[in-house]
Amino acid sequence: MKQTIAIARRELLAYFSTSVGYVVLALFLLISGLLFALTTLHTGVEASMRSFFDLSFFLLLFIAPAISMRLISEEMRLGTIESLMTCPVSDAQVVMGKWIGAVGFFLAMLAPTLLFPLVLEWYSAPDYGSIFAGYVGLILVGSLYLALGTLASAIWPSQILAYLVAVFFWLIFVGLTSWLPRFVGDPWSAILFKMSVELRYSNDFAKGVIDTSTIIYFVSGMVLFLTAAVKIVESRRWR
Amino acid sequence: MIEIEHLTKCYGSFRAVGDVSLSIPKGQVLGLLGPNGAGKTTIIRVMTGYLPPTLGRASVDRFDSVTQSQEVRRRLGYLPESNALYGEMRVIEYLDFRGRLFGLSREARRAAVERVIERCWLKEMRRRQIGRLSKGYRQRVGLAAAMLHNPPVLVLDEPTSGLDPIQIRETRHLIRELAGDHTMVLSSHILPEVEVTCDRIVIIARGAIRADGTVDQLRQKAGDVQRYVVEAQPGPEAATVCEAIGRLPGVTKVDAISGDGWMRYEIAAASGTGDLREALGRVVSEKRLPCRELHRDSGSLEQLFVRITAEVEAA
Repeated sequence: MKQTIAIARRELLAYFSTSVGYVVLALFLLISGLLFALTTLHTGVEASMRSFFDLSFFLLLFIAPAISMRLISEEMRLGTIESLMTCPVSDAQVVMGKWIGAVGFFLAMLAPTLLFPLVLEWYSAPDYGSIFAGYVGLILVGSLYLALGTLASAIWPSQILAYLVAVFFWLIFVGLTSWLPRFVGDPWSAILFKMSVELRYSNDFAKGVIDTSTIIYFVSGMVLFLTAAVKIVESRRWR
Repeated sequence: MIEIEHLTKCYGSFRAVGDVSLSIPKGQVLGLLGPNGAGKTTIIRVMTGYLPPTLGRASVDRFDSVTQSQEVRRRLGYLPESNALYGEMRVIEYLDFRGRLFGLSREARRAAVERVIERCWLKEMRRRQIGRLSKGYRQRVGLAAAMLHNPPVLVLDEPTSGLDPIQIRETRHLIRELAGDHTMVLSSHILPEVEVTCDRIVIIARGAIRADGTVDQLRQKAGDVQRYVVEAQPGPEAATVCEAIGRLPGVTKVDAISGDGWMRYEIAAASGTGDLREALGRVVSEKRLPCRELHRDSGSLEQLFVRITAEVEAA
């Protein structure tokens, strides 16, 4: 556990010592802040963060892979993986540490958006329960995206490739599970709808509902991607 | 302390190392010597558990490098050939991070970092970003990181690459100092380096051990073939000189190289044929050729190394 935290800590610090980290952070805050101001701060609009949460879902499709693209590919490109993998750490600890570091950066990126509810508070009385649920959902979605991103960066030693693959994976996945079901009949549409990240997110969390089955859905997705990433890192030895 | 048994490592269809066995007792400083691409780094990577062997096994302190990799890693300090470091970290941060990976407590980490910073002459650079350090300093950081958890075994792949002559001397000195209580494996293609620092030398070429012994043993082996050098002026008699030398007892090979108005004869003779210097002198004086040099090369590691690699290449 100590080693996992050490790796996560190093990863988190690395984001704040490279320009990429700040660019990603600034982009996310700029766009989400603009969207929040444009969609919510109007007379007559409900004092909720619904639109921020809905839009952040799509924004993260592009932002999260930018956070995760360097995780393992950078180690392979630089060759630092050799001295890391000859320290007493397991492959799983390396993958987990890197993912936790990325999630840490994602949380740091979300932290300034806590100002949005304060702005709402200024004007009216927002429903904090649904804001809380929205953040839980956003964190789960982000962590899931980052888990897939970790896998992509374990497979492709090129950061750009890792980024593109992660973005396309989610675009296709969201398309298949949120859009395609409208055109195929039962039972397929029901199954696909159940697998939709977007619907699970916007029907539950963004509305203020925290559903256990949805939490299990997200957590099992993360476990799946991270396990696959560990296997890929392990397979490096046998190639 | 380190046992390698019938190690074979293939990358796809390429066999980098074939059936290498090596036993390194505790406290020994072993030099792996070989031309680039000989398989030194592959052997080291299997030893450290970074790569699994295709066949055979490697163990450190009786722990298998594949099945008990974590135990092996705990006992090992490794400076990889590439010595890749995180450029954005400061020296002290990086060493502290390595200490965490080895599970050192806060106090132990602080003490260990201070110790290696002192030993690897990094004091003035402790707060510097690694990415901004010269290659020499980076090499020291890699060495410091390998020594940090005070492992009983140190594996250093090309430890002096990129260092200037003074740093090379200092590093060799450090290696000799560490030798007392560490088992060490260091690889190099620089002969004087292993000659000065190692108790035992293993020469590797094309993925197999070609020679193995102490520096003295290998020197003796190098002396199996005696070499002489004669430099004389090329006169009308010059053509017959080669012939005359070739007729001397024990001479196996004569090379004549001309340059700057002189003719250089390089002569190889089988050992046990006695000293040929007198006979060579006679040949030159009989031909009435002005001579400016005549000497015998004592057996050097370099000769052995060159001979072995040439033999392997020719095979």
